[in-house]
Amino acid sequence: MPSPHPYEALQSTKLSALRARLSLPQRFPLQTLARTLIHPSADPDPAFNNASLSVLGANLLGYYTAEHLLCNYPRLPMEVVFAAQNAYVGPRALAIIASEWGIEAAAEPGGEVEPGLLQFKRLRPGEGIPAALKKQVPWKWNVTQTHRIVATDEFGSPNAPPSPHSLASVPVPMEEAAQSFVRALVGSLHLHLGAPLVKRFFKSHFLSRHLDLSEMFDFRTPTRDLSRLCAREGFEAPVARLISETGRLSRHPVFVVGIYSGKDKLGEGAGSSLEEARFRAAAAALKAWYLYKPLDVTVPSSTEGELDTTKWKPNMVDCGEVIV
Amino acid sequence: MPLSAIQKVATAQNGVGAFVLPCKRITLRYCDWAGSSKGMNAYLKTQLGVFAKRNPQIEFQVYKKANDHPAITAYYLNGHQKSVNVKNMAPEEIREKLELLRNSSPEKNKRVPAKPVTSINENVRGIWSPFHGAKIKI
Repeated sequence: MPSPHPYEALQSTKLSALRARLSLPQRFPLQTLARTLIHPSADPDPAFNNASLSVLGANLLGYYTAEHLLCNYPRLPMEVVFAAQNAYVGPRALAIIASEWGIEAAAEPGGEVEPGLLQFKRLRPGEGIPAALKKQVPWKWNVTQTHRIVATDEFGSPNAPPSPHSLASVPVPMEEAAQSFVRALVGSLHLHLGAPLVKRFFKSHFLSRHLDLSEMFDFRTPTRDLSRLCAREGFEAPVARLISETGRLSRHPVFVVGIYSGKDKLGEGAGSSLEEARFRAAAAALKAWYLYKPLDVTVPSSTEGELDTTKWKPNMVDCGEVIV
Repeated sequence: MPLSAIQKVATAQNGVGAFVLPCKRITLRYCDWAGSSKGMNAYLKTQLGVFAKRNPQIEFQVYKKANDHPAITAYYLNGHQKSVNVKNMAPEEIREKLELLRNSSPEKNKRVPAKPVTSINENVRGIWSPFHGAKIKI
């Protein structure tokens, strides 16, 4: 038997401890929890491994993260949306979450192994990465932003990630197995306990993590972007003005520069040269625009299955980032 | 490309949303012959069941090691472990040690240096700046 019998899950102390650790209700069956821990590399039979559950879980995680980001930050540039998706539910983030839940891996998968351990076929030392995990041919050779939004996965990645079903009996690194477990757990929670509980679980375990979106912007030409933005929105052209300075002729000068559009200050920055301070001020002004957050946001999934839709408020849709 | 994104991973803040107890497994070692395990054997027989029922998120393992003092080892989520030798202790003292291990953080005990508090959250009042506000003419 390549994986433990589902009956053995009922005797596993590790599984019931894991269920209690994640505050899951007693009606979530341990047999399903055991199944989410079996990667297709350990058991190629799709009736006993977590491949199908992890496909469902990946879609749910992508959907809930995307609606959270797009409704709360309607002006966020697509590049940052993709990076934030990756930061919340990307492969690396999911593997870290699994280790923080106390998931331990079995040395070797098998029918006699404790069902509370993560089961996957390990890479042998000296062997290269299997072909299924290597970079695939890109979705498309001339990749446009529109194509990344419409046709690729939730992270806008250039290559298709390996399908869980294609990894049957293929040795994989632990990160791949751990992320498949987290996805499969979300998928199985959706099937057994329903969407409201999954949303609560997602909010408490994934959205509660700390991510500072303002640190994810990497501007190349913030001054040019800002003047294009002002032209697009019909504001007066931005002007940089020196607010304060000290030590202009010393080794450590400090300049504080504000960017103004008419009488409105859009942003402010400090730097050791006038140019640096101006760039920082322009970047601050752009971040203030892009990180706009409406009050009282209702996400689309909050009206799922609800008969009373009066609480729903349409979300703001922005025309998008500046195109230079 | 006017703007690119910096790749990051969201960091955990245990307790902000869900709280996951850092202690994941506790092993209790006893000897059925030596006198130093007398209290441990009594604890295992009478009180461990209640403690385990109250802490379902912890996995308990009990094992016998002959001719050795009884000990408790706690394993934590980050891979660290802490052990306590409980020889000649009364069941009540063992319960206290178990609670200590359950409630403690996986990090080593260390002095808290007198450093200013650092936070990842934004300052509510802002930071005082010498460049803003009333200018002092010298």
